Amino acid sequence: MDLVLLIQALLIGIFCYLGSISSPWLMGVTGGYYVLGRPLVAGLIIGLILGDVHTGVILGVAVQAAFIATITTGGTQNSEITYAAYGGIALGILSNADTGVAVTLSVGIGTLGLILHNLLMILNSVWNKRTEKAASEGNEKRIIYNNAVYPQIVNFIFRVVPVTLAVYFGQGFITKVLDIIPKDVTQIMTVLGGLLPALGIALLMNLLIKESTQFIFFLTGFVIIVFFTDSMIALTVFGILIAYLTFISLGKSQIEDDDGVI
Amino acid sequence: MPELEKKDLKKGWRNWAMFHLSSMSFEKLEANGFAHSMVPILKKLYKDNPEAYKKALERHTVFYNTEPQVGSLVNGVVASMEEERANGKEINDEMIHSVKTGLMGPIAGMGDSIIQGIIIPILLSIGMGISSNGNPVGVLVYVIGYLSIILTLSYLLYMRGYKMGIQAVDELLGTNSERLRSAFTVLGIMVVGGLAASFVKLNTVLKIPNGEEAIEFQKTLDGFFPKLLPLIAVLVCWYLISKKKWSATKVLIFLIVISIVGVLLNIF
Repeated sequence: MDLVLLIQALLIGIFCYLGSISSPWLMGVTGGYYVLGRPLVAGLIIGLILGDVHTGVILGVAVQAAFIATITTGGTQNSEITYAAYGGIALGILSNADTGVAVTLSVGIGTLGLILHNLLMILNSVWNKRTEKAASEGNEKRIIYNNAVYPQIVNFIFRVVPVTLAVYFGQGFITKVLDIIPKDVTQIMTVLGGLLPALGIALLMNLLIKESTQFIFFLTGFVIIVFFTDSMIALTVFGILIAYLTFISLGKSQIEDDDGVI
Repeated sequence: MPELEKKDLKKGWRNWAMFHLSSMSFEKLEANGFAHSMVPILKKLYKDNPEAYKKALERHTVFYNTEPQVGSLVNGVVASMEEERANGKEINDEMIHSVKTGLMGPIAGMGDSIIQGIIIPILLSIGMGISSNGNPVGVLVYVIGYLSIILTLSYLLYMRGYKMGIQAVDELLGTNSERLRSAFTVLGIMVVGGLAASFVKLNTVLKIPNGEEAIEFQKTLDGFFPKLLPLIAVLVCWYLISKKKWSATKVLIFLIVISIVGVLLNIF
């Protein structure tokens, strides 16, 4: 047994738990899911744990690109980004995989992780009844335990166990597989890795674009990046200008508010 | 006269900021988190009236779901309503329920599109730009940028919600919010267009026979519209999701098939 690898795998599992959507310890989703849970951040953390920050960050950027526009609304998502990030990047580093392969690995692990996440969301119904009962008895301690503590035990097991096992046992397995797969398969993974951001972006467009005329703003953003500048900051500043013009053009509100808007 | 002090409000905010999703379930989503966040507030307000305390706790264990970070505003508003109620003002259960449910929808819509649709993608793109060669500084830029913006916003919104109380409802659901929402949507859609151009990658390896030598088709494309293929890829995905109502999984399988067929036919 490789003790060092086991400890590294365990640490990666624990970070996967801390970055999960339901983990409260780093100011809820703010420091957890939206910070530790992002593949960009996971890449640096895994790099530090495995002693290869450079590769970690590079794979983090690549996997992040595939999940750039991942959205979670009303507790539903299409891939579990935290499992994808910690499982995919860690196995990618350990098996010296190409970035395209690491991205595809992440997407596969994210899909499997989603099953566990949904299972947790179903199992968590147990705490609802208990919280209601605690409220009707005026027992605030039990509300707190049923919201903050008990569900975390299940969440912890669901994250740490599978990720630790996958990282510990996956390395040799993935390396062997990568050695024997033909070049065409690697090329397919590379193409797919480049295409995947299109799905996330299409989901975002579906969320934002309500009228077909708004599509023109999408095209404007696209063309600015392709033909004028590759700076996202420049595009944002230009976007704020257009947004401000839109705000003015929609006419003054009847409600006068001295404090300004929120 | 029970009165909330700054320290009670701070506890209320902290409980919400940490535990909003810790027992999230499909059945009641953030209900338990909301009840948890109200504990310090209600405990202070109803400390001399155990029956009212139980009723108040029960009031806040009903289904609740919103964008948790911007949504701290609702917790602030409700804290202020509970305080008025504890001081004898005519505020019944229905009023509190309707404020919670009335606000959670618009705030979820606005919060999700602004945070997940604009703030996170912009900050990530900046971080990824700096880190693309393996430099960890970009990661730190994202972490510090996100935490400082969102933690400040969440705290200020809670306190402002408390200060404005029920009046916040009119202000948020009024005409101003529609204008503001439209303006943010415009910004969001432009940013998404930029993301599509930066992150979707698709090149063809097709060659056009031209006498002795072959012309690389991708070079011809780059000559008049670089990134045309990624644009088409995004438009197809968007069409399938918004017009054909395909699920994300179905589109994912479609992309896998396209990649396999494309590579095997020597197109990509």
